[in-house]
Amino acid sequence: MKRMVVLVAWALMTLIITACGGDGAGSKDNNAVSLWVHTSDETPEGKAMQAIVDRFNQEYEGTYSADIEFIPRSESGGGYEDKINAALTTNSLPDVLTLDGPNTAAYAEAGMIAAIDEYITNKDDLLPSIIQQGTYDEKLYAVGFSESGVGIFYNKEMFEEAGVDLSTLPTVEEPWDWDQFMALNETLVTKYDKPAIDMGFNDQSEWLMYAFSPFLWSQGGNIVSEDGSTAEGVFNDENAVKTLTFIQTMIEEGYSTITPVEKGFHTEEYAMKLGGSWTIAEMEEYPDVAYGIMPYPTSPDTDELVSPSGSWQYAMSATTDKEEAAGALIDFMMSTESLTEITLANSVLPAAYSVIEEVQGEVSDEMNILIEQNAASAHARPVLSQYPQISRIFQQTISDVTYYEENNDIQALLNEKVQQMENVLN
Amino acid sequence: MNINKRENVAAYSFLAPTLILLGLFLIIPAVLAIYYAFTDYYLLTPDRRQFVGLDNFIEIFKDPIFKQSLKNILIFVTCVIPIQVGSALGLALLINKQRKGNIFFKVAFFSPVVLSLVVISVLWLYLLNPSEGLVNNVLVNIGLNPQPFLSSPNQAIYTIVFVSAWQGAGYQMLIFLAGLQNIPNTVYEAADIDGVNKWQRFIHITMPLLKPTSILIMITTLIAAFKLIIQPMVMTQGGPMNSTITPVYYIYQTGFSDRMIGYASAMTVIFGILIGIVTLIQSKVTKEDDI
Repeated sequence: MKRMVVLVAWALMTLIITACGGDGAGSKDNNAVSLWVHTSDETPEGKAMQAIVDRFNQEYEGTYSADIEFIPRSESGGGYEDKINAALTTNSLPDVLTLDGPNTAAYAEAGMIAAIDEYITNKDDLLPSIIQQGTYDEKLYAVGFSESGVGIFYNKEMFEEAGVDLSTLPTVEEPWDWDQFMALNETLVTKYDKPAIDMGFNDQSEWLMYAFSPFLWSQGGNIVSEDGSTAEGVFNDENAVKTLTFIQTMIEEGYSTITPVEKGFHTEEYAMKLGGSWTIAEMEEYPDVAYGIMPYPTSPDTDELVSPSGSWQYAMSATTDKEEAAGALIDFMMSTESLTEITLANSVLPAAYSVIEEVQGEVSDEMNILIEQNAASAHARPVLSQYPQISRIFQQTISDVTYYEENNDIQALLNEKVQQMENVLN
Repeated sequence: MNINKRENVAAYSFLAPTLILLGLFLIIPAVLAIYYAFTDYYLLTPDRRQFVGLDNFIEIFKDPIFKQSLKNILIFVTCVIPIQVGSALGLALLINKQRKGNIFFKVAFFSPVVLSLVVISVLWLYLLNPSEGLVNNVLVNIGLNPQPFLSSPNQAIYTIVFVSAWQGAGYQMLIFLAGLQNIPNTVYEAADIDGVNKWQRFIHITMPLLKPTSILIMITTLIAAFKLIIQPMVMTQGGPMNSTITPVYYIYQTGFSDRMIGYASAMTVIFGILIGIVTLIQSKVTKEDDI
């Protein structure tokens, strides 16, 4: 009896241990490439990716094959990236993976991804901002399959009711500066007696870095020095103070709010919204709202239009032993046909000139304004291996400055944040 | 093989799966964390790890956010324990008094415990929404000002205290209830004969006999409270102005978002020592032999 018990216990134990064993992502077949993507197969983007991979498998039948795995990314960025980090430590990265633009430097610096210059056949077709975000140490490590952009969505009816003449609104050629933009807000707040624009201050994530850094660049300021070695004298200079004063004024004067109503622009609560290209897709469900898009307002000192850019990219892991097949897959996914498919499906901006031509007639006027703004003024986020910390400190600066009572001394706030950045950079 | 030996073999065989799992997922990681704390381990480059001595620890003592996180967790713990344990005891006494029809109340008070913390946090996010939330709508309708529960640096941590106490009280209520039902009726009957009033009965009989239960609840609540992460992560992302960042959340951010495993491990070690000291003080104050 006792022996029986012991046997059962050992059996249970071995079962647990074997059940815990996993298998890596790589497969034995030398021409079968594994691909991990950060989206779910339910999304338009995921469906487009699946379709592209299916086409690849048809076209290269007998030569190469690709297997796509969907690992959705959570709101806060977990999920997919956790899986990548875990795969890194167990040496089981897939042959091809997707990564967000700002991660290029960290991944390349760590030797996780391989340079792919030689595999990309249409490099000259890609937009400069795409090349910029995928380049580290003068080599191309990753290629963005779409671009993103942000504009100011405005409600035409609410504008007209407030006496704003729509024909006088700014364009990409002739943008407004911050003062003109604030005057517009003043008009709307006076008319409706509530905030005029939802700038997404409640989204305490990469959004605050992505959407608000262009204001600083327009003013001629920067987050860290060009060589990425210091923030001292950069992020606490006069330009940064001016930019943050403008952002603080937006809240202090009641033009914007830190606690916007959910989908407030969509439900005509606010007359304006600082929104990305994905907002265009959302607005399809609100057909009654007639809206337009304005470009970013510019600094009165420079009048230079700057808009955010950047997106997810494809890259090849440095550990793959199937460079040819992986390279062929990335190149196939970057072809005009594949890029056009994903751009239209996902309502994002094109990453290549040929794709702009393809989609220009297919997309709305509003989307074309974002495409135009992107081509004229896209600015990639800094290429830094310490990007996550620098980005978070920047996000917290934006969030903190909206508390104007606690932080009316903007210079002091910036000095404190620069100190934090210095600790990270050194 | 004598009886004893054979029993030992059987016992250890049964323990083996648990011991192996504990070793794999608790003991080995803990030892590794202590080792990593003295290195500059960067998540993406495990091979370039270097021994850096006490550098991480020196850095931590200069880190304003870590200090802020300790301050926040102290506020949280000192507020949440009396509220949570107090309401748990109150609920247990109420339910214990009326033996009939208390199933409904038991389930009602216990239900937040079985829901996931993420769900609870999202639920309260909706309820506390400044413009559309139920709570503020009620406040406005009874003539009060709407409150920035989660968007004010002065209120956010107390809002999280309230939500956490609401979530956890049901579980401790059940433990108190078990403790109450273990008190023999004969003691109360004897007290009745001596003409003791309700208040005296509670102070001199119920409380002393509940002491072991209370100590157990105090210790478990304290340790759980120190590990707060999910509520601030979902509800405030540590903001506004770092007023709700907690040590565990900051360690998570540093380790996984910023990829500084070495630095995060060092914070883990310091934080582990702090919890150890607090638990030690507590067990000294409430002599362990009472349990």
